[in-house]
Amino acid sequence: MSSAPSGTHNFKVVLLGEGCVGKTSILLRYIEDKFNDKHLTTLQATFLNKKLNINGKRINLSIWDTAGQEKFHALGPIYYRNSNGAILVYDITDEDSFGKVKNWVKELKKMLGSDIVLVIAGNKVDLEHERTVPLEEAESYAKMVGAKHFYTSAKLNQGVEELFLELTREMVERFEQNSQTEVNRTSRVLVVEDEAPTQSSCCSGSRSN
Amino acid sequence: MEGAYDEIISDNPFFIQFKNEYSNLLQHCISQSWIICVPRIGSLNTRVFTVEDFCAHVLVPSDELPETHYSTLTEKQVTVANKVITLEVTKGLPLQSHILFEETFYTEDYIKYKVWCVETPLEPNTNVGDCAITKDYLLSINDCIDLLWTQAAGRQVLDQIELNVQQFLKKHSPLPIALAPLRDAISELYTQCLQSTLQNRRLREKCKVSKHLLENIKLSVECYMQHLLFDSLFKPICTICAYEDSHLNKKIRNMCDIQLRDLDIKKELYHAVPKAKQILSKIVTYNTVLEKVLCLKQALNAINKKDNSNNVVLLTADDLLPVFVFLLIKSSIPNWYSQLKYMKEFRFSEVGNGDCDESAFLITTLEAVIEHIQSGALAGPPNPESYYYESNLTEDNLNDNGQRKNSLTESISTCDTNSREETLEYVFDLIKANNSEQVQYLLEKNQRHLQSLQQNERSAVKFAENQDDDDDEDDDEEYETEIYQKLCHPLCSCKKCCSKISKNLLKTSPTVSSRDSHGLTPLHIASIHGKANIVEILIDMGAKINATDLNECTPLHYAASRGHQNALLLLLHSGASINQANIDKNTPLHLAVNNGHMNCIKALIYFAEHGRKNLKINCTNEHGNTPLHLAAKWGYEGIAKLLIENGAEPSLQNHNNKTAFDYAHNLKILQVLKLSTPNLYEYIHITSTEVKTLNCKTDNPVTLKLQSLKTRNNETNNVTKTVENLKRLERIFQAISYGDVKLACFYMNIKYENYANTNITTDRLSCHPLCECQLCKKTHQTISDYDINFADSNGLTALHYAARYGLDELCKILLLNNANINSSNRKGQTPLHLAALNNKIMVIRFLLDNGANINAIDLSGNTPLHDACEVGNIGATKMLLNYNPNLNMINGSEKSAIEVAKEKLHLTIIDLIEKHTNKIK
Ligand SMILES: Nc1nc2c(ncn2[C@@H]2O[C@H](COP(=O)(O)OP(=O)(O)O)[C@@H](O)[C@H]2O)c(=O)[nH]1
Ligand SMILES: [Mg+2]
Repeated sequence: MSSAPSGTHNFKVVLLGEGCVGKTSILLRYIEDKFNDKHLTTLQATFLNKKLNINGKRINLSIWDTAGQEKFHALGPIYYRNSNGAILVYDITDEDSFGKVKNWVKELKKMLGSDIVLVIAGNKVDLEHERTVPLEEAESYAKMVGAKHFYTSAKLNQGVEELFLELTREMVERFEQNSQTEVNRTSRVLVVEDEAPTQSSCCSGSRSN
Repeated sequence: MEGAYDEIISDNPFFIQFKNEYSNLLQHCISQSWIICVPRIGSLNTRVFTVEDFCAHVLVPSDELPETHYSTLTEKQVTVANKVITLEVTKGLPLQSHILFEETFYTEDYIKYKVWCVETPLEPNTNVGDCAITKDYLLSINDCIDLLWTQAAGRQVLDQIELNVQQFLKKHSPLPIALAPLRDAISELYTQCLQSTLQNRRLREKCKVSKHLLENIKLSVECYMQHLLFDSLFKPICTICAYEDSHLNKKIRNMCDIQLRDLDIKKELYHAVPKAKQILSKIVTYNTVLEKVLCLKQALNAINKKDNSNNVVLLTADDLLPVFVFLLIKSSIPNWYSQLKYMKEFRFSEVGNGDCDESAFLITTLEAVIEHIQSGALAGPPNPESYYYESNLTEDNLNDNGQRKNSLTESISTCDTNSREETLEYVFDLIKANNSEQVQYLLEKNQRHLQSLQQNERSAVKFAENQDDDDDEDDDEEYETEIYQKLCHPLCSCKKCCSKISKNLLKTSPTVSSRDSHGLTPLHIASIHGKANIVEILIDMGAKINATDLNECTPLHYAASRGHQNALLLLLHSGASINQANIDKNTPLHLAVNNGHMNCIKALIYFAEHGRKNLKINCTNEHGNTPLHLAAKWGYEGIAKLLIENGAEPSLQNHNNKTAFDYAHNLKILQVLKLSTPNLYEYIHITSTEVKTLNCKTDNPVTLKLQSLKTRNNETNNVTKTVENLKRLERIFQAISYGDVKLACFYMNIKYENYANTNITTDRLSCHPLCECQLCKKTHQTISDYDINFADSNGLTALHYAARYGLDELCKILLLNNANINSSNRKGQTPLHLAALNNKIMVIRFLLDNGANINAIDLSGNTPLHDACEVGNIGATKMLLNYNPNLNMINGSEKSAIEVAKEKLHLTIIDLIEKHTNKIK
């Protein structure tokens, strides 16, 4: 899980949003741990690893679920620091939860700048008839802040896969841009280029961040 | 967790051939969403694969049970459970293979398919490759040592790491007490260890083949290094984090009676908490980051929800944090912050993963939990009374609590009904709301009512007795149960019956001495919540100061444990017993120390000193812990200092034979225990009124002497006074040994400032024998309070000590306070002897100038000069000679001073004495 051979991107993704908007449901839906049914450790509803291979690029996603309760809001920075991506979830039937997303966007932009890829997920589209967050508003807001917007339903398994795929692609893109423009910059994600197990290359004991 | 298997599928020869030579088949599989199994690299001998080989590794989900049942393209039946693939074979046992990991592939047009990397090929009779997979997970230091040992075929690698660590410790002793340099140094050591490990040819070859092995080797090297370093490394880390840890401890201690429901933890999780707690408490026993993180994981995994059919339900982030907060508070581990820093900063082998592994998640969660507790976002300490109210409720009616609370608070605001006013609970709520007027009004009203009723009853009873003899005074107990049977008639309203009924009702009407079902009185509640003004009112109304609740806690216990200094002082001044032990044998001082309330500790000590109360500073609780044990354990430096200055003894053992030293988990607190330089002035505001240096002189020495004699006589009769003096002497001696004249004076009740500039030659006379001026009064007090010539069991007085440690300034002060300059100890030594023995030249001069006997002999016949000659103190000898000692005196061994010097071959001294003799001649 942790060992990362050459050429693998390690990306950290956090799920943020008000309580009960469906963060945990989305995460569990995405993982659909089939071969692992009874073996799920209890932690696996809060932290998950997923290996992807997109066009020959290996990506190791680690997805962190967070607690939605307001009293834990202050702990946000501890969780999202070093993140490459954030999924901001709201419930399309709950206007307050969309307001919460806006707060998160503000906070993340302030704290992490453009280092982090944001996607916004309007969850529970199976409850379309109860929608209170206007479609156009959500989409134009997302556009304004430079985040992709997705409609998802964890219940019906709609849009979840696409959400993560798009986020991953953007993270790869962002990473490659960054490593092109700032070759010398210590990146949050370290790609170990073709690491050979010789003394010189594998023994760097310093921390990357 | 750590070191799970990974490889690059696209480099796997099996997969490469599949893609290159049977791309049509692969495309078909992809379009059908069939699963492709790839045997891990090295599990198949490299050879040319046939189409059958590939077909045997494609899994087609069955129609009925697509999650668990599959068939291969070679028509074999396959089931999957618990990450294991089971393949039915025609003959023999079914074939099994572990799924090492799953990777989701996307084609260029984003068509998804899954690849499972499997441990062994899904074909019978295939030649299994030689390179057997190494242990999948490293779970303990033993696994790590095992790996390094077996992979290198011997212990040379381990030895090399050991050598590196030893050299490192030699070079870096002591380790830096700052995080960044410490981490950098250790990081360098790790690099060095890894380099020397990979110099092992055998290991290097193997790692070239398997990246997985390399990762595990890295981790093992790190673990073994940490294992060897831990004892030297962790103390500095704790020292770096001492401040944060002690603050966190204070927060945690003050919340330690928190209950699961206070944190909104779901009821379904309650059952698992004790187990998790037990697992988590072991974290201190592990030395490596790997094991510590694993311990976190196991603790959290132990917490699982069960649904109605007893299936385990996943723990979500919403539950995880509160449960973890609870576990941390209850763990009674004194250095969580240090544990966190160690885990966070001293992992080196995971470089390159960012925060992408589970360890990072667990460590971050711990960090979040600590941050949450530290931030004070949690509601303050829970109130014992609310706990009491609810503690006897079963889980089933826990749901009602919210409602209950609401109705309680409502009743405060509306304050309407009469029936409400009749309950003690309501009074408690008023106290919490600091509504002193209402509290007083209500309690007084009820009190008056009760008194008048009692009076009525008494007369009624008298009246009844006249009429009816067999109606006895009712027992209180019977009253409640049988009240109605005692009435003339259930509906009777005669005077007697009325009083019976109303008295019964009033039993529930709260007065100042009412108690709830857990023994809490209004005074307890006021103390718990620190409502000083109400405490005062209640005391005035005659509340019982030392009332105890079911835990045998007095109001003073609560005021101390909650850090309410004002309430505490009020209680103390009203006669609260300062050393009262509760059910756990904790005194108020224990509780104040445990919860880190410096203000209350100061108040207790201050009050004891001034109220001439004996605060038992070394009192032990149920576990044999003194307050100092607690201060040391939780790392409260300031408190430990204060306790030591007031006589706390760090070397006392508790029931586990542990001293305060044993509990000190960082160097800072250890230092405090070891050499706490007393400086009381920082802590206690002794100066009540500045004593003005008036133009007055000391008392007549004769009267003073008389007084001192009188007090001494009194004291010898008074054993406790002697014991007290002995204790005090100990402290004085300690202060002297630190060279702290000020402190020594403080202990002797001598006003240091008055002497600071005193010239010894000034003749100080009292203004008048009956003078009442400040300075005289002060001196009087001094004499009556502490006998300056009091000696310990070895006969040593303060002056002896001052002489021994060379404090001439203190000698002056002591002499001005009538210290006996020639008093001898049990060996017959005078202060001058000790000064001579210790070469304290200034003291020798001072003592001799002020009438010390230069030829005093101790029990073995030695004069001070003998002593100086014996030990070879040149300066002392010179100084003594200036005062013309009798050089002919011989000691018990029939030797003169010069003979002693000759015996010891102190040539300079012989020379000095000879010269002096010549001079006299
Ligand atoms: N109808 C509907 N309900 C959903 C959906 N996703 C989640 N929920 C429900 O919303 C509630 C909260 O979901 P949860 O995942 O715990 O939200 P979280 O607090 O953000 O993690 C649960 O009762 C879910 O069953 C969805 O897509 N549609
Ligand atoms: Mg959730």
